[in-house]
Amino acid sequence: MLRYIGRRILIAIPTLIIVSVLVFALQKLLPGDPVLTMAGEERDPQVLEYLRERYRLNDPIPVQYFVWITEAMRGNLGISLRTDIPVLDLILSKLPVTIELAIMAMIVALAIGIPAGIISAVRKGTTVDYAANVIALSGLSIPNFWLGIMLIMLVSVRWQLLPASGFVPPTEDLWLNIKTMLMPAFVLGTGLAASLMRHTRSAMLGVLRSDYIRTARAKGLLSRKVILKHALRNALMPIVTLSTLLFGELLAGAVLTEQIFTIPGFGKLIVDAVFNRDYAVVQGVVLCTAVGFIIMNLLADVLYVVVNPRLRHSA
Amino acid sequence: MAHEATLPHLREVKGSGRAISSEEQALLTVQGLSVRFDGAPKDVNIVDDVSFSVARGKTLCLVGESGCGKSVTSLALMGLLPTPPARIVAGRALFDGQDLLTLSERERADIRGDRMAMIFQEPMTSLNPAFTIGDQIAEGIVRHRGISKAAAMERALDMLEKVRIPAPEKRLRAYPHEMSGGMRQRVMIAMALANDPQLLIADEPTTALDVTIQAQILTLIRRLQEETGTAMILITHDLGVVAEVADEVAVMYAGRVVETGPVEAIFEDPQHPYTIGLMGSVPSLGRRQGRLATIRGTVPPAELMPKGCRFTTRCPFADSRCANDPPPLAEIRPGHKARCWYAPLEEHRGAA
Repeated sequence: MLRYIGRRILIAIPTLIIVSVLVFALQKLLPGDPVLTMAGEERDPQVLEYLRERYRLNDPIPVQYFVWITEAMRGNLGISLRTDIPVLDLILSKLPVTIELAIMAMIVALAIGIPAGIISAVRKGTTVDYAANVIALSGLSIPNFWLGIMLIMLVSVRWQLLPASGFVPPTEDLWLNIKTMLMPAFVLGTGLAASLMRHTRSAMLGVLRSDYIRTARAKGLLSRKVILKHALRNALMPIVTLSTLLFGELLAGAVLTEQIFTIPGFGKLIVDAVFNRDYAVVQGVVLCTAVGFIIMNLLADVLYVVVNPRLRHSA
Repeated sequence: MAHEATLPHLREVKGSGRAISSEEQALLTVQGLSVRFDGAPKDVNIVDDVSFSVARGKTLCLVGESGCGKSVTSLALMGLLPTPPARIVAGRALFDGQDLLTLSERERADIRGDRMAMIFQEPMTSLNPAFTIGDQIAEGIVRHRGISKAAAMERALDMLEKVRIPAPEKRLRAYPHEMSGGMRQRVMIAMALANDPQLLIADEPTTALDVTIQAQILTLIRRLQEETGTAMILITHDLGVVAEVADEVAVMYAGRVVETGPVEAIFEDPQHPYTIGLMGSVPSLGRRQGRLATIRGTVPPAELMPKGCRFTTRCPFADSRCANDPPPLAEIRPGHKARCWYAPLEEHRGAA
């Protein structure tokens, strides 16, 4: 098991290197000169030259990459060109907010998607199944921002139940923190629940047809046990894959949702950085997101082995 | 009470005093079982008016070519038919005096795996890949015996020893993918017999296995059956196996039982043309007389099924009555029944 995880981590290293090259190259290919942005109204060639020299923008590109990547590995992602705050500090201040949002949204998605998928698979072809599918389809089709705005109008403006926007750190007021995160988490979670439900349903339908389900029933086991133990366990593989990928996506920043509910998370950070041509921040955030995805993939690989004993041999 | 319940049906088998006595000693009596599949042509049942009985501790072999309804019959008895598309439209299945087909799903689940158990054709896919062998055997014991998991594991270990699996302690913690097909079928047998069932249904338990393993598994089932006194329905198309293990035989063709009787009667004095054809198609090492006999033609598809005897299209004796009126399963000699207008055939030799 440990060897398997170790090998997975080793495989992740080349991926990381490629990602870092891509991140850096994209940055160089983008139109616009960061120095001009930094200098603002000042167009004095000497100042510009000084800035270029200071940020080593005159070095050959491979050297720039090398400098950037070695610094990045030491935890130094550079300094925000706009705010002069170290990029790592910026990320570390925004990341927990987004992680909290992602976890809450994931809980909503799993709590709705998996049971709904199981029920519609077991009751295939009945009204329950059709209803679940219609709801899931609407969940997929309704844009997050629209649902968010509607919820704000209804829950915050009309009923005045939950705050419409803002963010309170949990250390300050846990209850208020949960109240402000509830709506954004719901908006994000329901969108994911729809695809989770569809995948759970199709995985369960495949498993429920298998011979070992018939064997389990031949033992006289009650349907609840047949479905929740024998079928669900085997249907979990695609669900695990999808969940970890979705979680990675959530970490990348629920850009729209964070904008609507004005949550100071990753999504907002990245949008602001792109608009301000704050290259160091963009690079740092994208790299961080990529690492997040790789970690989630690693987690998926590990969970496969837990779920599926057949993989333990090759492990 | 039980007798009152069985009374109405006695009128159906009028004139045979045997019905009562055979029902008393029979563990399972199936009468007029008919199964329909949604989407099949009207009035064509996949299993039609199937009747047979199994005595306590005895073996009934259900014989017939693939697709003749043997498996559907056995799954219907176990309550494992997927409904829909399948529907049981008629019949009774008296198991120890209780009609299985009128029980609730919960009551059937209480019997399944306890008093009646089943072994399937596909050992490679019939075990859940995600759980250990021990867990899968033990859960059936816990379900019906209500004992602790640890005690059930003890019993599971006993069962693995009984089915002669080497290093049973180790195998208890093994997963199905670590075992061969023959070993997995032994596990299935251990699972089925763990609660000492009164009836074991074995649906072609050796078909998917290597020829060398087939005999081993069959011998094992026979030995365990003798030890435990379990009655068995063995589904097979291997007449060699039938001759070896059967007490009674029911021959099925296109969803109907065409002939039933004691094994000697079926082999020595077959009455239905299909049974005779089956006997002729067994290759023999002893006599080599030219080509291997076959039954000409194939089973007609459901939409072309004759109204009368379903064997009409392939039968050398068939006439217009055969095509239009289904013959009853009539008793030819005590205990020996055939579903043919011309049975017993000897009386019609001149006609053919």
